[in-house]
Order: sequence, then C-alpha cells, then structure tokens
Amino acid sequence: MAVSAVLISLIPLIYLLVRVATIGISEIAELIFQARTLELIINSLLLAITVSVSAVLLGSMQAWVAVRSNLPGRTVFSVLAALPLAIPSYVAAYAWIAVTPGFSGFFAAWLLLTVGTAPLVYLAVSAALVRFDAGTEEVAQSLGATKFQVFRKVTWPNIRTAAVSGGLLSALYVLSDFGAVSIVRYDTFTRAIYNAYRASFDRNQAAALALVLVLVTVLILYFESKAKGQKFTTGKIAGRLGRVELGAWKVPMFLILLVLATVSLLVPLGSLLGWSIEGFGSVDWAAVTGALANSVGLAVSGGLLTSFAALAIAVLTIRHRQKLTSLLERSVWLTHATPGIVVALSLVFFSNQVVPWIYQTTLLVLIAYLALFLPNALAAVSTPIRQSPKALDEVSSSLGLSTMQTLRKVVLPIAGPGIFAATTLVILTVLKELPATLLLRPTGMETLATRLWTETSVAAFSAAAPYALLLVVLAGFPAWLLNRAIRKDLEPMEMERYQ
Amino acid sequence: MNKKKNSYFLAALALVPIIALSGCAASTTNSEESITIYSGRSESLIAELLDTFTEETGIEVNVRYGDSAELAAQILEEGSNVQADVFFSQDAGALGALAKENLTRSLPTDITDLVDASYKSKDSQWVGVSGRARVLVVNPDRVSKFPTSYRDLMNPIWKGRIGIAPTNASFQAFITAVRILDGEQAAQDFLTAMKENAVVFEKNGLILQAVEDGVIDAGLINHYYWFELANEVGVGNMKSEIIWFEDQDAGNLINVAGAAVLSDNPSANMFVKWLLGNTAQNYFVEKTREYSLTGVPAVAGLKPFGEIKAPKIDLSDLDSLAETLELIRKAGLL
Repeated sequence: MAVSAVLISLIPLIYLLVRVATIGISEIAELIFQARTLELIINSLLLAITVSVSAVLLGSMQAWVAVRSNLPGRTVFSVLAALPLAIPSYVAAYAWIAVTPGFSGFFAAWLLLTVGTAPLVYLAVSAALVRFDAGTEEVAQSLGATKFQVFRKVTWPNIRTAAVSGGLLSALYVLSDFGAVSIVRYDTFTRAIYNAYRASFDRNQAAALALVLVLVTVLILYFESKAKGQKFTTGKIAGRLGRVELGAWKVPMFLILLVLATVSLLVPLGSLLGWSIEGFGSVDWAAVTGALANSVGLAVSGGLLTSFAALAIAVLTIRHRQKLTSLLERSVWLTHATPGIVVALSLVFFSNQVVPWIYQTTLLVLIAYLALFLPNALAAVSTPIRQSPKALDEVSSSLGLSTMQTLRKVVLPIAGPGIFAATTLVILTVLKELPATLLLRPTGMETLATRLWTETSVAAFSAAAPYALLLVVLAGFPAWLLNRAIRKDLEPMEMERYQ
Repeated sequence: MNKKKNSYFLAALALVPIIALSGCAASTTNSEESITIYSGRSESLIAELLDTFTEETGIEVNVRYGDSAELAAQILEEGSNVQADVFFSQDAGALGALAKENLTRSLPTDITDLVDASYKSKDSQWVGVSGRARVLVVNPDRVSKFPTSYRDLMNPIWKGRIGIAPTNASFQAFITAVRILDGEQAAQDFLTAMKENAVVFEKNGLILQAVEDGVIDAGLINHYYWFELANEVGVGNMKSEIIWFEDQDAGNLINVAGAAVLSDNPSANMFVKWLLGNTAQNYFVEKTREYSLTGVPAVAGLKPFGEIKAPKIDLSDLDSLAETLELIRKAGLL
C-alpha cells in the first residue's frame, strides 16, 4: 500500500517529464531563462519565504498561548486559530476585495496566505506542545537558565520539527496557489503556468514551467531537512504542563489575537454573510443538497484513503529507517508545489493511457486527492509515531509478540490521534479543492466547490455566497474537531492543576 | 494476519462512500440519443438553453463545464479516448488549438453557410455561434473627455486609471487586431504604454467591478459584462457606461464564442446547427446579451450589430496569436 501510494503521488512528476521530453532543450532553456520567468520565480520565492516565516511565528505563538499560557479566553482563541483553515483562500480574497477595494499586490497576497496557512503551523505546534513535558523547563530554570535560554534550549527543540514542517506546508501551498494571488493581482510563477494553458494552449510549455517548481521544491525540502534537525522528544505523553503567567503581556497578547481573528475570520465571514443574505432568495436548494452530499462523500472517502496510505508510509519509513524508505517518504513531497491543474491533467493523461475505465469516475478523483494531499496527511500521521519511543516496540517484541501484533497493539493505538488528525485535515482540504475536482469528476457531478466556481465565473458574487458560506461551515466542523482532538489531552492536565 | 484483516476492514470502510458516490454518478447513460458537451461557457448562462435543446429534440445532453482553455487541455490529454462529442468554447483560440491537433471534425456546409466568413474557421473546423464586442467602460464622473480610439489610452493622463486583462483571450484578440490593422510597432507601443498606465486584472468581471467601485476610471472589457451587472444591480445603479471608439478602431473588435464537433455522433452536428437556429440565437440576444451571428436584432440598449463599424480580422489565424502573446509577454504584461 505504501509503495503504490508513493507511485500514485509520482504520476504528476512522470507526466511532466513525458511532456517536457517532447520539446527541445534549447526551447526549454529559452523559456526558463527569459527575464520574465526569473522575475516570477523571485516573486514566488519571496512570497513563499515571507509567508512561511510569518505563519511559523504566528502559528507557534497562537499554539503557545493556547496551550501554555494563562490568557483568559484561550480556549476560544484556540478554536479561532484553527478555523481559518476552513476558508478557501480564493473566497477570502474575494471577501477582502469587496471590503477594501484596491486590496492588491504583495502585501495583500502575504496577508491572505499568512492567515490562511498559519493554522497549519498552529495545529502542528499545539500537538507537539501538548505532548511536551514542561517539567524539563522547570528543571532548566532551577538550574539557573534564563527564560530565553529555556525557550531556546528546551522548548524550541521540542516544537522545532512541528513548526518547520508546518512552515514547509505553508511554503509549498504558497507556491502552488493560483486563486488568491490572481485575485489580488500578485504575479507569481503559478500564474505563468496557468497562462501557458490559457493563453498559449501549450501544455508542454506549462509542463516545463511546472518542472521548475519541482526543482524549487527540492531546494526547499533540502533546507527544511536542515532546519528540522533530527532531535525529537521521547518524553512521556501527557506529562506535566505548567502554565506560564503572562503578566503585563496579557492585554497586548489579547489584542494581537483579536486583530488576527478579525483579519482571518471576521472579514471573510462578514462579507460572506452579507452576500448570502442578498443571494439566499435565488438559491436552488435541490442543487445545494446534491452538491453537499457529493462534497461530503468525496471528502470522507478521500480523507480515509489518503490518511491510511500515509499511515502505511509512516510506519514503513519511521520504523524501518533506511535510505530507500526515507527516499520514498521524501519523494511524495516533490510535486506538492505543483498547481492542481497540472496534477489533474497528469491524471487525465495517465488514466487515458493506462486505465481508461477509471477516467471520469469517482475513483480517479480520489486518486487525485491522494496525489495532492498525501504530504499533508503524512505530516500529521508521522508526528505521534515519531514521538513514541521505539523502545516500546522492542519491549513488545521481547515479550514475544510478532511484528504484526506489535503494529496492532502498540503502534496503531499510538498513531490513532495522528490518523484522526490526518483524516480530518484531508477532509477539510478536499472540501475546498477545486481544479482537480473540476477536471476529473464524473460528467455532471457537482460539489459545493464546483457550484461555487460556477456561480463566481459570472460577475454575481451574491449568488455564489451561500455555497461559499455552506462550504466554510462544513469545513469548519473538521477544523474544530481537529483542534479539539489536539487539546483533548490538555483537559486532564488542567484538572490536575486545580487539584 | 490480524493486521491484514484490519487493513481489509479499513479498505472496506473507505470503499463505502466511494460506492455510494458512484451510485449517484451512474445516471449519465450513453444511449444513441445523447451527446456529451464540454462547455467553456458557464452553466449559469447556458444550462437553460441546453434544457430547451433536449425538450425540442429529445436528445439527452451530458455537460461538463470548465474553463475553455483547461477543457481544451483536457481534450488534448484525452488523446485517443476523447469523451466529448462537442466542444462549446468561450473563444476561438481554444477551438483553434484543437483543430491544430486534428481533434476536430469538418463541419458540413449546411452549418458553415449560416455564418459570415470572419466568424468561422477557414477549413470548416469550427463555427462561431454568438458575438461579443470589445468596448470601453468608463465612469463619466471621473472622465471628462471620452477617448475616441484605444490609442488615446496611451496618454500619460491615464496612468493608474485604466483596467485591462492581458490573460483574457478577448484582450489578446484585440491586440492581434491592433497588429494587423495598425502594425507591429503600434501594438508594441500600445502595450508598452499599458505597462505604464494600466492596472492588470485576471477577469473582465473584476475590471468592471473595479470601475464601479471607483478603484479605476475605465476598463477594456466585453460588452455583455456590463449588461449582466446592470441586470443584477439595476441599470440605474450603474456608475459606469459603455463607450464605443471611432469606426474601424481595433478597440471595437468583435469576438465569438463557438463550437466544434469532436466525434462521429450524428447528434453532435445537429446540436451545432441548432445553436445557429432561431431558438438559440434569440436566447443569446435576450439572455446572455450577446450578438446573434445570424441576424437576430440585438437587445434594447445595445448598439445594433450592423452599426458597429468593427474591423475585419480573421479569428482563426492562430500563428498570429502566438506572435501576439510574444508581444504581450515582452511588454511584461503576461
């Protein structure tokens, strides 16, 4: 299962190579080395770096406040930190343009994508903080370390892996995004790829450009593995959790989080509500119900399929760490910055060449989700497995259990929360996904996202808003669950604190 | 063994919704009396028309909606397994891309004869079915003297005030018209000036919205966007108005939406012919506020088709489009 999942995730890459092979080297070189292409790569990288750095800072801060501080209302803020994940970035972009006409350019793209991807960091870091034993901090402090030293030497190493992989997801999302950046008119490399299809009808040229994104991804992955480090905690799960007294920082922190919630939630949701009230009269409820059912069906099956594939890969690579298995794990990331349209076309190509009978069936749509979101699921599944001590396996095998029994009795229970997190994360991402669903769905099948697209392709946004609102509410549910599951371990600790 | 059982269970669990879903999708049958259309024209504009077609002819229609260019790419990737009988495109460029790869079937003369030569492919690979004019929308409160040619927009007084959508096929066709009518140099000069003056948008609709919001003062768009918005908010609430340039100005080019046949299904030709019949042509005039290509008079409030002194340009000239794109790219607008 692990191997076939990795192979599926490599289909887009193979497709790109096949496409590029049909054009000459000199033509590719001319295309890539023109000033405009370089300018767009720089634009894209600039955005990816600034967004991922600010998402890491914001997300980590939100996680720390929600898990480790005594800020009043932190539980509410923790929900608010996760919810922006439910808002598709193109919807947020439309909403912001409506509220502030002229909202455009680098700053607009940075703002939208930062608040849109910070929840990824927030969730990863929260999970790491919850499992982190604060006792070690106290030990360090009692040995005379300053607060900053404690953070740098004790806290940071424990959340570093989570923060950096959250940042990676954010950076690759920025590279692949087309909707938000095109609406706020910031020129990125993805736009050049879309233009190759839309303006030149040249899929080979588009493939050559997409391959450049793969190379950029390889570079980013390299830096990420350097930044992540190999250290991970082996502390016991549900250790003691000290709360940090915020003191004078309470008010400013409260205000910062309030502003953040306004930017990431209040503005988009406010606009959507306003439009929806205008547009509700014209809604075709039968169409909504059908689209809703299809959205849920696709998201749930896509979520389950992808997270179990991710589990298979995670178990293989973490428990049997060899050169080959880690190569497998890394390779699923290669095409994660490739825009959805390219991945979708690769599957059109692949299915028609190899397995025509799955073309335009739900199965192919699910395969597309697997190819698109395997890295997200893998990141979520890996964390708990990685944090559980390998010694547990050894003990269980020394007690005479077979490998399979160890997997079932020891690894799976530990991975449970990770599987849950991966499934809910993919569910909410699939709900928002548009380009692949649009191209690969069985003819005539509608989802909330495709309905939303249909209504926005004409000028009227009021007709589209009810679909957008429904989509956000629906996706908000897994986002909320995800946050709750992470914080579940907090409650017994809170109790302990008040005893 | 246990793990195996476990994973079978999980696989089965994942399959439940898949099966439920394929049940929903099974309604698309492929009987003789049905056609599959890939439509780059949006559902909200076209669905009603397709229903009428089924009512009148009894032929079932399966439609896949998408972006014209993306659907063209999809058809190209389908290769020898093309699913569509008809491609209904928002612009001529996407149709030409398919014709170039020999994926289209020649149309019979009883179809091609219905349309003027400027609005169909030279070798009968596709026909235009409705027309749209390039126009300038301006906010009269902010523009005292209306431009009489697209060239007027090159004046530095327009800096930051004019909206364009360089990735839009209609805009590109307009630049091709400039090249053919006024020469390469004129096109290059215009694009250089636009790089200075223009605010770049992704879509025509967003340009119009920006003019309405007062973000910019004017924009180059297709005429029907204005009518669509006017229909939604009420003509009285429109802050902008449509301006026509002087006769033969490249800025008033007529583009078409069109169709090509991709299979031997006889209903496909029948459908394309039906699009050029009275029912469909009236629909385009009244519902989508486009121009009929077979002589049905335009909607009230819109300049009659015959009165537009639009420049003649061959829309099927695709090699020419490549050069246009090169110019736009060089100007730094793509």
